[in-house]
Amino acid sequence: MAGSQLKRLKSSLREQGIIGPQQSKKQKRKNAEDQKAKPEKRIQRSEALETIREQFNPFQFKTNARGPKFEVTTNRPANDRAARGINGRPGLSKAVGEQRRRETLLVEMQRRNKVGGIVDRRFGENDPTMSLEEKMVERFANEKLRGHKKSNIFDLEDDDEPGVGLTHMGKSLEFDEDEEKPRDDFEGEEVPSDGESDGSHAERRMLKRLRLSEADGETGEEDQPERKKTKKEIYEEIIAKSKHHKYERQAAKEEDDDLRAELDKALPELQALLFQRQKPQPKANEGQAPVLKVAGMDKTALDKDYDIRVKQLAADKRAQPAERTKTDEEKAEEEAQRLKELEEKRLRRMRGEVVDDSDDEDEDGDAKAKKGRAQSPGPDVDMIDEDDEYGLGKGIRMRPTATELGFDDEDDFEIDDDLVASGSDLDLDEDDEDEESEAESEEDDDDDDDDEFTKGLLTEAERKEAIFQAPSKTEGNDADGIPYTFPCPETHADMLVVFNGIEVTKLPVAVQRIRALHHPKLDSGNKERLGKFSQALVHHIAYLGERFEPHWFPTLESLIRHVHSLAKTFPIEVAKAYRTHVEEMEKDRPLALNVGDLVILTAVGTTFPTSDHFHQVVTPAMLSVSRFLGQKIPQDLGDFATGTYLSILALQYQQLSKRYVPELMNFCLNTLCALAHEKPAANATNLGGFFPVHEPPAGIRIDGAGKTAVRKLNCTDCQPGRDLSFREANGLKVAIISTTTAILKAAAELWGGSKVAAFYETFLPAQKVLEFMTSKTNSQHLPSELVTAVREAEVGVARLLKLAEVSRRPLELHHHKPLAIKTFVPKFEDSFDPDKHYDPDRDRAELAKLKAEHKRERKGALRELRKDAQFMAREKLRVKKVKDEAYEKKYKRLVAEIQGEEGREANAYAREKALRQKKRR
Amino acid sequence: MPAAVGGAAAKPIDKRKRGEKGEKSKKRRKSETEQEVDQQSQITTLETEILESRKHYNNIARLIELAQSYDEDAETAQSAVESLCRVFLHLLASGNLVKRRDLSEKDATVVAWLRERLAEYKDLLLSLFPRKQAGLKALVLAMAILKAEGQHLGAHEESAFPKLFLTDIVRALMDSKAERLRNEFLEKFVDEYHDIRFYTFQSIRDLLSEPAKALSESAVDNAFDMLIAIEDMPDSSDDLVEFYIDPPKSKKHQLFSISQHKKQAQEAWLALFRLGLNREQRKKVLEIMADSIAPWFTKPELLMDFLTDCYNAGGSISLLALSGVFYLIQERNLDYPAFFTKLYSLLDADILHSKYRSRFLRLLDTFLASSHLPAVLVASFIKRLARLALNAPPGAIVAIIPWFYNLFKKHPLCTFMMHRVPRTKDEKDRLESEGLADPFLPDEEDPMETHAIDSCLWEIVQLQSHYHPNVATIAKIISEQFTKQSYNQEDFLDHSYGSLLEAEMSKDVKKAPVVEYMIPKRIFSKAETGSDEKDNLLVSLWDFGGS
Repeated sequence: MAGSQLKRLKSSLREQGIIGPQQSKKQKRKNAEDQKAKPEKRIQRSEALETIREQFNPFQFKTNARGPKFEVTTNRPANDRAARGINGRPGLSKAVGEQRRRETLLVEMQRRNKVGGIVDRRFGENDPTMSLEEKMVERFANEKLRGHKKSNIFDLEDDDEPGVGLTHMGKSLEFDEDEEKPRDDFEGEEVPSDGESDGSHAERRMLKRLRLSEADGETGEEDQPERKKTKKEIYEEIIAKSKHHKYERQAAKEEDDDLRAELDKALPELQALLFQRQKPQPKANEGQAPVLKVAGMDKTALDKDYDIRVKQLAADKRAQPAERTKTDEEKAEEEAQRLKELEEKRLRRMRGEVVDDSDDEDEDGDAKAKKGRAQSPGPDVDMIDEDDEYGLGKGIRMRPTATELGFDDEDDFEIDDDLVASGSDLDLDEDDEDEESEAESEEDDDDDDDDEFTKGLLTEAERKEAIFQAPSKTEGNDADGIPYTFPCPETHADMLVVFNGIEVTKLPVAVQRIRALHHPKLDSGNKERLGKFSQALVHHIAYLGERFEPHWFPTLESLIRHVHSLAKTFPIEVAKAYRTHVEEMEKDRPLALNVGDLVILTAVGTTFPTSDHFHQVVTPAMLSVSRFLGQKIPQDLGDFATGTYLSILALQYQQLSKRYVPELMNFCLNTLCALAHEKPAANATNLGGFFPVHEPPAGIRIDGAGKTAVRKLNCTDCQPGRDLSFREANGLKVAIISTTTAILKAAAELWGGSKVAAFYETFLPAQKVLEFMTSKTNSQHLPSELVTAVREAEVGVARLLKLAEVSRRPLELHHHKPLAIKTFVPKFEDSFDPDKHYDPDRDRAELAKLKAEHKRERKGALRELRKDAQFMAREKLRVKKVKDEAYEKKYKRLVAEIQGEEGREANAYAREKALRQKKRR
Repeated sequence: MPAAVGGAAAKPIDKRKRGEKGEKSKKRRKSETEQEVDQQSQITTLETEILESRKHYNNIARLIELAQSYDEDAETAQSAVESLCRVFLHLLASGNLVKRRDLSEKDATVVAWLRERLAEYKDLLLSLFPRKQAGLKALVLAMAILKAEGQHLGAHEESAFPKLFLTDIVRALMDSKAERLRNEFLEKFVDEYHDIRFYTFQSIRDLLSEPAKALSESAVDNAFDMLIAIEDMPDSSDDLVEFYIDPPKSKKHQLFSISQHKKQAQEAWLALFRLGLNREQRKKVLEIMADSIAPWFTKPELLMDFLTDCYNAGGSISLLALSGVFYLIQERNLDYPAFFTKLYSLLDADILHSKYRSRFLRLLDTFLASSHLPAVLVASFIKRLARLALNAPPGAIVAIIPWFYNLFKKHPLCTFMMHRVPRTKDEKDRLESEGLADPFLPDEEDPMETHAIDSCLWEIVQLQSHYHPNVATIAKIISEQFTKQSYNQEDFLDHSYGSLLEAEMSKDVKKAPVVEYMIPKRIFSKAETGSDEKDNLLVSLWDFGGS
């Protein structure tokens, strides 16, 4: 653009249409009217003026000396300012800074060295960020709080107290009706909030003042777009709304109550009506029109009555279709399905995988679920048909017969039937792991189940004795001398007292009665009581086992089954009891277990799933079994017998999971070597193995037992320190050897068939030891029956060994996906920004950021301080100048005054002088 | 002089009698205490008299007499012993016991007489050692006398250590049964003062090598205990600064030379070894060999025979000797022929059940740490331990498998033991038809010839289904990808049944454990005859009475 500044200004003004050719008066008026109608035009005009102003003041902007940067060097979005290369507005910012200093620093400066005075403590008075309106609102809220005792800002209840509100001279400030109008523009009508309205009163006043002052100014002020609501207002709205609803609800409720009271009053009559007139009712309906009074009641009452009844009928629960009675086949199928599910779950637990939210793995940090166990999932002989053994899935015999599933059990143990046959839900749900989510439903199931279970018990009892119906009142004994009622023993000591005098073999009856009497449904405290009872019962089983007599075992069995059934309801309690026993056993007598311990270990094996990868009770129990087997060096035949029992137990624990127990092999082989007539050759490798051989105590080796009969071991044999005659001892030795041989055979069968990888190495020593037992020197001291058995076992093992050798393959454990080599090629950043830090170390990046910020702040602070100092100097100078000026002025005035006076005096003098001269003359 | 002694000796007895007569039996108790006070005051007067003038030296004899009556009146005797000690210390300090040329004959007699009394007193002290209370005090007093003697009795400025007296003390200590006394001696004197330690070694050696007198069994044991207890070998001659008795002036004295100290210790030990050690003692010696004994030896080669014998003895002794042998190999460049063969032979059936298992495994780790060992050899060790693991307790399995992992990382050639794919068709066919016999030769003694590297670790795969979940999980690491650099072996050593059980038991049961969903019908009873049920294993093998 050429030409002088003025010319250019003119032309650009013209371009924007701000100035034009001279307008006639008429045109002007028209334009004025137009502008009234279209306020935007005015805004446009001011905007245009602004741009022109900017354009003509080149020093208002800070720009890059070399113009804008190339786009490639920065990734920042080029906004319009940056695009034009404007970095800042020094003039503007300077003005703003100056203004701010004048407001703060200057005030402070002026106040310096001054004492006293009035400090304005009104809320927000010195806060320049608050608008006048906000200040008012805040002040009002504060004042209200001060008056309020509770002074809780969130106290919603009592804010419509009288006396809170803006007052003037004790009178509340109320505004005229017509002033309510503009308020609607700002707020929703349904928000009658006191605080807010008061806040807006102030606002309105202010607005009013404004309006008055610019009454004849532009009228567009009112038509501004609706103001955005503040958060506070929104919340207040919400609160008011909820209060409103609450009030409505209360009102409705009160109404209902009134209605109900009325109904209650009318009820006796209504009842009389109902019972009297069963038949006439329809008639009444028919004859409504002619007869207003029916049976002494007026028509409205009758109508009401009718309505109520109709409502009642509608509210009545409809009869629901009962589940179809299932046929036996369907039941069996369902049962099979359930068992299959349970079995799958068990297999998963066995592999150590996470079963739903099973806790097994949480408990055992190391034992993370690892897939790919070498062996195929073992078949469950007890539970599922044999077809599954080979992984063929469900074959022909999909539905096992009811007998197989064990519902019609002729056992005298009724609980079992109930639990297994009908109480299936309980079992399912308890095994189901997501108890949390199904807590409710499970509770119901539990109740149902327990109900049936006790019903079973009760009916059983009822059949025999009718007295049982009211058990709590009856006292007395049955034929066996067992009382019908028992207190629920919660500790073992109590239990001993309670069971005192009851024959051990009758204990199950007593336990059954206690369980029925203290059924959780009968009393809320019973659940806890029975939990403790089950713990005491576990204790009692160990106690009985310790003092066992051979004919007690059926009793013990039934007690264990009782505990098992209790464990379904109280799994934690029972598990704790077992664990306590195992712990105690390990502390006191890890290598001298008694029969009670054996019974408990057996009970653990039947109560809990021994095939689990980890189980809170089974794992410790198994460890203590193997500890005995591994560390005990048997000192007498009792130890051998105990060890043999534990070996059987260890093997039984592993029936399903087929895990390997090294200690079992050690103990069995050691037993055979120790009992053999001839000492095996000193070099253990002669027996082909690496198991340690202990030297047996004197007199243990078998000698001349050729004529002894082979018998089974029993628990009496386990007791230590018994004096045995030569014959008895030989009999026991023969029994131990034969049992051990049987164990080895069973173990070989369990682990054979490539269930374990090193079967050959594991059982080669076994075969050699068995062979050694049948050697000539040894066999002549053993009964021929036993020798045959041993030989048979040896042949069996040898066959399995051959099989193992043939089926053995080299290991191929590492068919893993090859691991990627770590790459060190730098990562390419797609949207690279040179201003950004790409530090991979998060902490360092954070630190760098903080440092940069700190530097920036520091610089800023320095600059501010410098400017402050400049400002202060300037102010001081100004003040000084003002002062000097005043002084100068005063001085001059005084001088002038004096001069004037002097002049006058001089004049007077001169006049006088002249006069005198004149006179003289 | 003797007459005077006799006269003086009679005096207290009179006094006692008089005291008894004088007092009425009514206040017997009081009289007793009074009598004691009398005795005490008498002893004090005797002592002060001695210290006052030479005339009263006969009092010493009376005091000794009093002190000897320990069995009758312990308290009096005790105070007599104490005051005697003071007397002798005083006399020694004032030089009354030093023989000098310029002494008159009479004085010389007095000195000789005093010396006799001192010897008598020493004997008395030593005889008190076996007593419980008095023993400790007697030891302290004896050591005080020893110190005074060393400082004042030495001729010609040059202080001489009273070796004879120390030897007597050590002998008394060796003979006495009081272990506390010995410990006290070791703790307060031997460990504190380097000269005492030096001469104690010397005396022990002298005592042990006295051929004439056969030492009693217990004395040898005690000497052994004492030697074992002496630790803290000084590092250099500069450390030898703590002396009980003023050290000799000349810096050349043997007390200042560390090699002399070591020599004394070495000779004491050798004297002990020469007497022969029983099995228990051998074990003890071997246990501390590398840490405490071998460093004392200036010529550890002298231990070589002993250690080699022990190493060849087999059993736990060889295990223990291993660390000593290793010390020699490391420090003295001992060349042990066929070391690895011998080491391999230590891997017998008992090793993983042994008490010293973790000690051995640590050493084994050190021996096989080199990556320059032939893979064949390492494979033999791995395979053999794997075999042993088949019969090992869980603690041992847990310890060796991470070690295997580390070895596999170090010797990648050995990883064929875990992963071996048959390549040729012939090979595959043969596998199909014949299976695979383990090429490993368990009876081969030379680890280079066992063909273990051609074998596979089926044993560890079997242990992956160990009954204990953690063991099984650890066994699985060899079939996982080998991403970890190495396992820290220390984390896996030192597990036992007890610790495993404790770890299980320390966790509380929070979540309900899974309960078997089917209540078994038979636990102890047999199945009904004729029904389809199968007896469980327990019932079929055990007799629970009943049918």
